[in-house]
Amino acid sequence: MITVDGTLSPRRIAWQRRRRAVAHGWADYRRSVPGMIGLVGLLLIVGMAVAAPLLADASQLRAVDSIGNPTWATPSEFPPLGTDNLGRSVWAQFVWGARISLLVGLAATVIAIVLGSIVGILAGYSGRVLAAVLMRITEWFLVIPFLPLAIVLAAVLGPSVRNVILVIGITSWPSTARLVRAQVLTLKERLYVERSRALGASSRYLMTRHILPSVSPLILASLTLTVPVAILSETTLSFLGLGDPTRASWGKMLDEAFSSGALSRGAWWYYLPPGLGIMAVVLSFVLIGQALEEILDPRLRERRA
Amino acid sequence: MTEPLIEVRDIHVRFRGRKGTIARAVDGVDLEVRPGEVLALVGESGCGKTTLARTILGLERPAQGEVRFRGVPIDYDNASLRRFRRQVQMIFQDPNGSLNPRQTIYEAVAEGLRIQKVEGNEVARVADALSRAGLRPPERFMPLYPYEVSGGQRQRVVIAGAMVLQPELLVADEPVSSLDASVRGEILQLMLHLVQDTGIAILVVTHDLGLAWNIADRIAVMYLGRIVEQGTTEELLDDPRHPYTRALLSVVPEVERMHPEILQGEAPDPTRIPIGCRFHPRCPLVASGETARLGIEERCTGEDPSLHAVGGAVAASVHAAACHAVALALR
Amino acid sequence: MSAEPQVAAPLLSVRDLHVTYRSQGGGVPAVRGVSFDLAAGETLGLAGESGCGKSTMAGALLRLLPQGTTVTGEVLLDGEDVLTMKPGRLRAVRWTEASIVFQGALHTLNPVHRIGRQMAEPIEVHDAGISSGEQRRRVEELLGVVGLPAGRADDYPHQLSGGQRQRVLIALALACNPRLLIADEPTTALDVMVQAQVLQLLEDLQQELGLAVIFITHDLSTLSTACRRLAVMYAGRIVEDGPSREVFREAAHPYTRALSAAFPVIGDMRFRLNPSGLGGDPPDPREIPPGCPFHPRCPVAESRCATEAVELWPTSRPGHTAACVRVLGADA
Repeated sequence: MITVDGTLSPRRIAWQRRRRAVAHGWADYRRSVPGMIGLVGLLLIVGMAVAAPLLADASQLRAVDSIGNPTWATPSEFPPLGTDNLGRSVWAQFVWGARISLLVGLAATVIAIVLGSIVGILAGYSGRVLAAVLMRITEWFLVIPFLPLAIVLAAVLGPSVRNVILVIGITSWPSTARLVRAQVLTLKERLYVERSRALGASSRYLMTRHILPSVSPLILASLTLTVPVAILSETTLSFLGLGDPTRASWGKMLDEAFSSGALSRGAWWYYLPPGLGIMAVVLSFVLIGQALEEILDPRLRERRA
Repeated sequence: MTEPLIEVRDIHVRFRGRKGTIARAVDGVDLEVRPGEVLALVGESGCGKTTLARTILGLERPAQGEVRFRGVPIDYDNASLRRFRRQVQMIFQDPNGSLNPRQTIYEAVAEGLRIQKVEGNEVARVADALSRAGLRPPERFMPLYPYEVSGGQRQRVVIAGAMVLQPELLVADEPVSSLDASVRGEILQLMLHLVQDTGIAILVVTHDLGLAWNIADRIAVMYLGRIVEQGTTEELLDDPRHPYTRALLSVVPEVERMHPEILQGEAPDPTRIPIGCRFHPRCPLVASGETARLGIEERCTGEDPSLHAVGGAVAASVHAAACHAVALALR
Repeated sequence: MSAEPQVAAPLLSVRDLHVTYRSQGGGVPAVRGVSFDLAAGETLGLAGESGCGKSTMAGALLRLLPQGTTVTGEVLLDGEDVLTMKPGRLRAVRWTEASIVFQGALHTLNPVHRIGRQMAEPIEVHDAGISSGEQRRRVEELLGVVGLPAGRADDYPHQLSGGQRQRVLIALALACNPRLLIADEPTTALDVMVQAQVLQLLEDLQQELGLAVIFITHDLSTLSTACRRLAVMYAGRIVEDGPSREVFREAAHPYTRALSAAFPVIGDMRFRLNPSGLGGDPPDPREIPPGCPFHPRCPVAESRCATEAVELWPTSRPGHTAACVRVLGADA
């Protein structure tokens, strides 16, 4: 209960209600079987990546430290996942490689989302000239095919994890920007925005207090669906040899598996784990993203009813 | 005579449509709103009443003419507008859309205080505004979201949100048309109480003459961007002079003393305003040949009439109509 | 037809109609026992506020409600029960015997088809062998009936104004010469002058064609002049039924009295600076109070109102019934 003398402030009440709303959201989410599968899968993979030092010795990643190992050993000969053409432990590469895939995927997505949201909100909200300029830039990035641009940028900037993150981030923001802008355009016309303006609100106030909170669910859903795209992009770049040659990553594993002839040798333990790993991560994020969309959308509709 | 709160002088508001057409939404309006009065701006859709209300609020800029508040013309820079907004507030037609569904009622009402950076106990002010708007006890309503209360209560929240700034003028755009009929009375009563208790003036924009009879002191009737008749409520509704006002009144269901005059067609849009008297293509006096008989037909089709005071007007208000036939009758 | 309307069987006879929607929390009773008769050529106004069930009832008459909705009772159209008709017979009856005009003409017309084509649809459906020339002629005839120039058949809906679109919907409803027209909020979104035009049109059509009309709206004041008879609905039931002028200005039921007081009479000083309304909200159909559903908001409720069931009882005036205990024994 709020009392006028402020013993329980309205802000605290609002926070309590929001926490309860989140708790309800979580209860809803738990009911979605695909969503839970995705969440569990993701937690397992993240857990594995975080626990990498406990699961596999980093030294086993380096060829120079693996001289004593048999090459092309099957998983039964060299548990748990055998060795590659240079005798390096595939399991170590798999576990440590997960870190790169996830790290790049998340970091690049964050860049893309932040950039895309800012551009989207500005483009949706600004006057004709600025909006037009921003949209032309967005469309330019959208139209350029990802791979050639990524290759050029990676070649120019040099192969490193940081640069891969940058490249993916720079090429992924346009779709978020368009999504956000479309939403901002409709929100701008909402009566409560007009009312805020009638109360004397500045554009900045409207953007931060009304538009941004209403666009947030969209951004969140977009985020969970952009991460898999970023991870796949990282895989592609590493596969093409544009990733960091000093770090293990699933893409790099696939690249080396193919170039060293693992396919023709039937060394499935080398190329299957990274491939399945990629699939698992991507699928997890997609399942989570879909479950989130379902929760966020009808709840908003239901609330307004 | 007290100084008017709002004075609108020869206002023209134009919008650019596609293909370069220009819509003359407000086409030369003079209007006054006096402190503590309820003025009803009546007209059908497309007549410009909402545009005029928004221009008074500073949400639209006139192409010509000026809006004065207490004698001082409005400045359109951000800081001045914000100060102006403390004095003049607006409530909109749709109480559902007017409130952000993600904000609690407390936040919706406090928003004005926060935007205007009003000092003092925010909780106390919000509670006071909610009480005055009839939401008692206010504490019960503060943590709720808009979807948790009824339509009538939502409109009260919107009113509280406007009144919390203690403005001198409230512009209400169709404040009750989206509410159930039985709920309207309460909201209208609330508005009248606010006038009595705080001395606020209210400009009500509506299409409903019955509502004007219910709460308004004065009425101004608009057609295609112009005021075609104005006066006190009693004068205008007991003895309407302009043929458009007469037609509007005649089709109200219980008005039995007038034969229903159902005008043909619909009002043309503001991009194609007729020359001469803008009402003449639909005017029953023209259609019946009355204007020809009076010898003013060329004037109706060629000359734009201005507001003339009709006879017998009370000193403090002027019952005026913009009609050649009315002007003729006064000679 | 030379038979007296009172002697002939009614065109439409609704008996104890119940409509329950399916929803997550269980059934939602939108209509809870509605009965009335309508003679050929008679106009009945049905008034009520949001949630009273009037639009649901309109849909139920032609079985246009969503799947899963439970409808019980009888809807006798010329003696045949619509609710038990086989689908083929129902389709044949829809539009040719009774048709419906909805509110919100903007959304009811297909924006990508020309008006003429949309109007020809019902004609085609019910008369497959008709030639296209004959179709066109019929469409133009219908446009003329509703006061629109024949050329409008070639326009798209967005090229017409709100009032014109509403006229098209009325023309569509008349396409197969029905004997009953159900109009669900046909003038609500329109300007007062256009409303008056459409109401005049409905009145003329009703007289020329001998149509029976059920006019559903929340605007009680328009019904007092547009219809001869007026029924008021509240919480899924009819609470008052009688001659429209009487029901509007000398209501027997407290709800009707409160509702009509919300429509001020211009010129009457009792309404000057005296807005009148009703406190509280209409009941949620899921939580209807026992006894008389109106008693929580009723200004003259007695203790028995919370417990005793109410039904439409005759008042002291002929043809005027009200579901209020106060008409029993006392002079209404």
